[in-house]
This record gives sequence, structure tokens and C-alpha cells, in this order.
Amino acid sequence: MEKAAVGKVSQIRMRKEKPKKKARDWHSITFQALFLLPALAFLIIFMYYPIVETFRTSLYQTTGFGPARFIGLQNYARLFANEEFRTGFVNVLAWAFWSVVIQIPLAFYIAFTLVVYKTKITGFLRAVYYLASVMPSAITAMLGRFIFAPTFGVISSLATRLNWKWLGSIDFLGNPDIAFWSLFAMATWAYTGFSIVYFMANIEQIPMEIRESAQLDGANLWQYARYIAIPMVSYPIRIIAIISTVGSLKLFDLPWLITGGGPVYATTTLAIILYKQGFVNWQYGRAAAVGVIIFLLSLIFTVAQFSFQRKSGELD
Amino acid sequence: MTDYTVSEIYIRKLRIARRRTLAIKIINVIILIILALAVILPILLPWFFVFKTRLEFSYSPWSLPTQIRWNNFQEAWVAIKIGQGLLNTLWVCMGAIAGTVPAAAMAGYIFARYQSKVTEVLFYAVLVGYFIPVHMVLIPLYQFTSRIGIVDTLPGLFLPMAAFGIPFWTIIYRSFFRGLPGELAEAARIDGAGHTGTFFRIMLPLANPATILAVLLVFIGAWSDYLLSLILINDPKLFTMQLRIAQFLNQYGTDHMPRYAAAAVIASAPTLLLYIFGHRWIIRGTLAGALKG
Repeated sequence: MEKAAVGKVSQIRMRKEKPKKKARDWHSITFQALFLLPALAFLIIFMYYPIVETFRTSLYQTTGFGPARFIGLQNYARLFANEEFRTGFVNVLAWAFWSVVIQIPLAFYIAFTLVVYKTKITGFLRAVYYLASVMPSAITAMLGRFIFAPTFGVISSLATRLNWKWLGSIDFLGNPDIAFWSLFAMATWAYTGFSIVYFMANIEQIPMEIRESAQLDGANLWQYARYIAIPMVSYPIRIIAIISTVGSLKLFDLPWLITGGGPVYATTTLAIILYKQGFVNWQYGRAAAVGVIIFLLSLIFTVAQFSFQRKSGELD
Repeated sequence: MTDYTVSEIYIRKLRIARRRTLAIKIINVIILIILALAVILPILLPWFFVFKTRLEFSYSPWSLPTQIRWNNFQEAWVAIKIGQGLLNTLWVCMGAIAGTVPAAAMAGYIFARYQSKVTEVLFYAVLVGYFIPVHMVLIPLYQFTSRIGIVDTLPGLFLPMAAFGIPFWTIIYRSFFRGLPGELAEAARIDGAGHTGTFFRIMLPLANPATILAVLLVFIGAWSDYLLSLILINDPKLFTMQLRIAQFLNQYGTDHMPRYAAAAVIASAPTLLLYIFGHRWIIRGTLAGALKG
């Protein structure tokens, strides 16, 4: 994980310091055990045990109370036969696709221009862009409804004021074709800040000499971005792509709080289905199956991340 | 002669190019400012509406308020009941910090300084936890916390929250402790400090930067959480701020827009204040986490 050179140096040092020690230092072992205990206890109780339980529960028909019936993979089969689930599955993949295609170029553009045109207000603008990322999702949802609500929402009342009937007649949250995009706009508002800050930090690390020599060679900004900056930060771009994709798989707060997954199933997501199956219909087995599916999908994307990492390591 | 004209053409070209660069710069800066406005306007716009009555709003939402009225705030404050929620949220934040940071610091220290086959395997076990989405374990987590009777208590919320923060911060602490010079620990040991003394008196104070980041970011994580709170807290008395906001969203529509706007102002105020005073640290912390992790 760590790429810091410092880590490597101290590693070498530590190896030198550690001569082959006497048989066994029980004092040290007790110390290590005691220090690892809290973290491992937390993880075992609240993470590893529930993970095992999720896999097990997903094979049973159970409401959490009374006897559970083993039904094998039927929960999964029923999910894929369910229209709501299929819509949610497609929504989540579409969401992942569009967040990579729209949010990443936007974030890169903002980060790149902020770094290239470094002015006095660069730091201020960076703080402004990041502000939305700090807002808790419940507040983002509140602001989303504030903007997109019919009749009294900001856009609708602005349309009335300007007498733009075409704009006023759009039902941003109630129209199944548009609700997805209203939510996506809110998510772009909320999640782009992190990518901007992350890209900025990486673009700033490109050595000044490279930029200067590019300028001397007569490269304009577009060429500099296209042939130097983007290739040099390709690894961070991939990381952000993975973070957005995995984030899309887990999407819950915004659609749940703004549209509740509706109208009909237009904005439903895997996590919303999990919540509804588990805590509205009390179908624990099926909810656990959704959890397993979310996990497997994010595993696939995470493994993709590591294979990317290895490839970029080879190029270096 | 020819030399002269060539260089003149070159200079002219350069001048045009320079003018073009300037124009591009201005366009880009304007776009940047517009985008910054797009970020900040949704947070500022509620202020336009909060001082109006419902009637005034429906006739002229965009005019300046004729008079400063506070009753929308009063109504919204009563409806959103954020006071109690703020207190609960602060408890959850403290609990999450107390659960995450010491455990992660200690584990990170062991993984950095006591490398052996066993600790390496355990480190991978912790690393795996970093990739586990909390969504996956919601059902068993709810069942388990009900069984041991901590569902619907604040510890029942912040303990699982801490568990899901520990992997990340253990990784960060590990790389931080690895970066510290090993001679220091060795010197302390020669001076007679035991394992525990070395950690608490020498190494932990040196890790203060990491600790500050951990405290700050765990705080923000707990502060913003919605999903875990939604599932693990049912008693309205224990509702966190985010649950209160969500409850307001479900109970009160946007029909009474001035009141809704007042609620939005109230809801976003604590986070906004936090950000205004701490944004340097928050951004630095996020980056430190992202670049190392």
C-alpha cells in the first residue's frame, strides 16, 4: 500500500537493528498481544463475525425470528427474477459509468486549471470546492429537494419568475426519466470535491522543470494536459475511478432521502433494496444476499485496482 | 534583411499567442468561478427565503425580504429538534474517536515495529477489513447488537462505527510509525523504558500529527453518518443530527418553503462552522489519508 520512500528507509534500518534474538521473548510477545487485542477484538466482533453471518444468512429464508429454513441459492435466484432488483442493479452500474465519464473529467479540469493558473485565490477556491464534500449526505439531500422540488423549489420558482414555462414544467424528482439525473447532479455536487483536491495534490507534484521545458518546446496548455499531465497522474485517475465505482455500488443516502428510490424503481439502488428487504419486508435472507452481491461487486473492482497498480508499477 | 523579417514575424506570432493565452486564461478562470458559485449557492440560497412569510414567498420568492422575521427559524427549530440531535451526535463522535484511535494507534505500532510472520498475517487480516463495505454486514450487525442488547443505545452505534474505521487508521499509523527513526525507540529501551513506556512516552507523542488527523477525520465520519444510525438507532431520543434532518425531510414537505429553508440553514450551520474553522486541517487530513492509503 505505502509508496512512501521513508517507509523503505526505516525498513532497511530496522532489519539491521534486529539481530537474531534469543529463543523467545515472552515479555515482548505479551506486549504485542495486548496491543493488538483491542483492534482485533473490534474487528472480530463487528466485522468478521457479521461477514460470516451474512454469507450464512443469505442461504436461508429467515425473518430473524423463529426458525430459519435452508434454501440454498434461492434468495439470489429470486432477486435476479425481481424487477426492482434488476432495475437497481442496472441503475448502480449506470451510475458508476456516468460518474467515471462525467465527474472525473470535470474534477480533472478544475484541478488542472487551478494548479496551472495558480493565483492568490487558488487555495480559497479549493476550499470552496471541497466544502460540498464535507456536507453530510442528509444535508445534501435536504438541499437537493430544496433545489429540485416542484413549484416551490429553487429551479421551479426561478422558472416562474423568468416565465420560462418549459423549465417550470419539468418535474425533476417525479419524472422517472429525469429523477436519476437530478440525483446525479446532486451527487456530482457532493462527491467531486474530493477528486479535485486529490488530483490537485498529484498535479502539483509534477516537477516544475517538466512544465517549463514543455513551454519552451511550444506546447500549449491543452497539449501540456493531454501529453504530460494526464499520463503523469494516470494512476491517481484510476484510483478515483475505482473509488467512484465502488462508491456507486454502495449508493444509499442520497436516493433514499431525496426520492426514496422512486418514482417506481427509477432511482433505486442495491443498498436501498437491501434496506427495504431487510428492514421493511423483514426478509433477512434476501437482504443478506444483496449484501453479498454488493460485496462481490466491490471485490471485483478492488481486485481490478490492484492489477492496475501492479501494471503501473511495471511501467515505472 | 530576411533574418530581420523572420524574427519580426516570430515576435508578432509570439504576441498573438500571448494574447490568446491570456484570453484562454480569463475564460478558464471565469468557468472556475462559475463552478465555485454552483458549489456554494445551494448552501447560501436558503437565506434568500428564510425571512419571508409563506404568502410573500409565493408571490415574490426572489425579492429581498421586506422585513426580518425570525418565526420561520423558530418553527423550523421546533420541527427539526436538532438540539438533542447535536448532543447525541457529539456523543457518537467521542465514542467513535475513543474506539478507533487508540486501538488503531496501538495496532499500527505493533505492525510497524514488531514485524514477524504472525504480525504480518494479522496485518493482512486488518487490511482486508479496509475493503469491507459496511452495507454488507448491516443485517447481522443489527441482529447481533439486538442479541447482546446494545441496539438502540449510542454505544451500539459507535462501537461498530469504530470497528469499520480501525483498518484504515491502522494502515495510516503503521506507515507513520515506520517513518519514525528506529534509534529513538532503541535509545529509550537502553535508558530502561519497557515496551509500554517506549510507546506511550516516546513514540505516541511523535505520532501526534497522525493522531490529530485521525481524531479530526473520525469525528467528521461519525458526524456525517446516516446509514448505520438509521439501522441501529430507533429511539427518537437517541436520534443523531442526521437522523433528525432525515426525519424532518419525511415529515415536512417543501410546501412551506421558508420554513424548509430555515431548517436547511439550521441543519447546515454546525457543519459549515466546523468547515470554516477547520478546512485547512480537513483538506490536509483527507489528502494525507488518500496519498498514503
